[in-house]
Amino acid sequence: MGAYGANGDTGEGAGAPGQVAMVFDLNKCMGCQTCSVACKVLWTREEGEDHQWWMSVNTQPGLGTPKGWEEMGGGWLDGQPVPGHQPGRAEFGGGWDFNYQEVFYGGTGSSTHLRPIDHGDGNTGWGMNWDEDQGGGEYPNSYYFYLPRLCNHCTHPVCVTACPSGAMYKRHEDGVVLRDESACQGARFCMEACPYKKIYFNYARNVAQHCIMCFPRLEVEVAPACARQCPGRLVFVGSADDDESPIHKLVHQWEVALPLHPEFGTGPNIFYVPPLSPSRLHEDLSIDEETPRIPPEYLESLFGPKVHAALDTMRRELARVRAGGQSELLDTLIVYHWSDLFGRYTTDPATLDRSPGRVPVRFGRSPGTPTTG
Amino acid sequence: MGSLTAPEVGEEALDPDAGAWDSIPSEGVPLVPVPIEAQLNAYVRAAWTGRDYGRSGPVELALARCGGRLLARLSWDGSAVPPGEFTDAAGLLLPREPGTASPVTMGTHAEPVSLWQWRDRLASQQGLPSAKYLVSTGPGVFRPVPAGGEVSARSSRAGARWSVVLAGPAEALATGSVGVAVWDGANAERAGIGAVCATWVEVTP
Ligand code: SF4
Ligand code: SF4
Repeated sequence: MGAYGANGDTGEGAGAPGQVAMVFDLNKCMGCQTCSVACKVLWTREEGEDHQWWMSVNTQPGLGTPKGWEEMGGGWLDGQPVPGHQPGRAEFGGGWDFNYQEVFYGGTGSSTHLRPIDHGDGNTGWGMNWDEDQGGGEYPNSYYFYLPRLCNHCTHPVCVTACPSGAMYKRHEDGVVLRDESACQGARFCMEACPYKKIYFNYARNVAQHCIMCFPRLEVEVAPACARQCPGRLVFVGSADDDESPIHKLVHQWEVALPLHPEFGTGPNIFYVPPLSPSRLHEDLSIDEETPRIPPEYLESLFGPKVHAALDTMRRELARVRAGGQSELLDTLIVYHWSDLFGRYTTDPATLDRSPGRVPVRFGRSPGTPTTG
Repeated sequence: MGSLTAPEVGEEALDPDAGAWDSIPSEGVPLVPVPIEAQLNAYVRAAWTGRDYGRSGPVELALARCGGRLLARLSWDGSAVPPGEFTDAAGLLLPREPGTASPVTMGTHAEPVSLWQWRDRLASQQGLPSAKYLVSTGPGVFRPVPAGGEVSARSSRAGARWSVVLAGPAEALATGSVGVAVWDGANAERAGIGAVCATWVEVTP
């Protein structure tokens, strides 16, 4: 087997013409989890989905969700898929049942407190946001920031390659990576292969599930729920190929928006503006103007070596504005009006005809979708 | 390998422990690992090359007919390890055309085979069907039959030994041969990673 692309291994849509992309400006994320909850209430409220958070926000540095995901392998190396670990129920954790009965009606008074019930599958020892706000560094130079994560709808989706039953595919029209759940046999090779560990398993239904980028919303030009609900106005949605879009400018023109773990080789279409940070303090608590609180080498471990130039660009633009100048980059990141975030995806979902059967689905699975089989 | 018959039996034979099976001749079917070179999926090849799998078997196989249904009783030593992420599974392979090549690849794109697959269910999976009627065109390349393929299964376990009766439409035996496959859940076997018979078992009409 040669490099990816041979045998249709990466799915039909590698380099989809209208690839939808997103940019998260981490300088504005406050870790409120509104995006996570917006997704949760929209998509993962059914049986077997309790522990699923297609959108999740973790404190960095941290073990994240699933626990220790960055060390679980997967992705591509030199055009070959890299074996990975399939995160299990205990590594995701969450989806808890609580001992309400015992606490409220058990007659044990204040000697019992509310806690998740251990069903023996190890899920009570971790959760989606378990290490919130722990962060890293030592006082007085402790630091943390928030990292919202979802499926990257990758240009070379190794999950699609790994699916033996041909259930996973990348949509030609917009590059969204989807799964035909009726074809999914629950083999979970996709979960092993995805280096971002953003695929969940529905044990009750024996199918894997992951973020669908709110494709029914995209089809009627409504931004995905995580983006639209974000009170920080930091999530851009659009095409990276449209020269006029903020996404194109942030990713390609100014090169301040970078993929997470580019070394995983899957070509993410979710990008991040890395966080600037205040200066470090010396031991005598005087300010070390030269050194940012968040270690640049840590940011490089997340976003690759281009992070240094991205941070330099942002600092240069900040200095320009502080000196009384103008910066199109900063104006773009400030987002003076919410609709500036979403390109053509600005339709108000409240205006849609929601009568049963009225939600149009424009793009089906294209005929002749290649599979790995 | 010898050949089997499929005598007419009563409904009670849907139970793998039914006495009806005692008088039906069975055949010990040896299994081999589905070859790693036959795996069509670059990820599966990368992840499983050099790993041990497909050691299950032999499967004691007996067939019967009940009304319009074909019944297949498979019995084999499963793993003593309790199920983790993956559960034990077994399947009956049925060529869809006469002259189909060896079942060792679980069919090919040119020569699809039917797969009646039983899978042990976790406590949280009791709402799922006990078996599926699939079409297989290669190792793990399984697709559900759109309609009309009703397959059911009942299983029992004595120690580590599984006994499973799969029941489905008797027309599926039209080519007169069958094969079997077993997946060891404790070894994370699933899809094309499992044990399969290398030759078809002939069924005497
Ligand atoms: S992030 Fe993972 S699941 Fe999503 S497209 Fe990329 S490889 Fe597939
Ligand atoms: S809703 Fe916005 S600000 Fe809140 S956690 Fe999500 S991305 Fe960050």
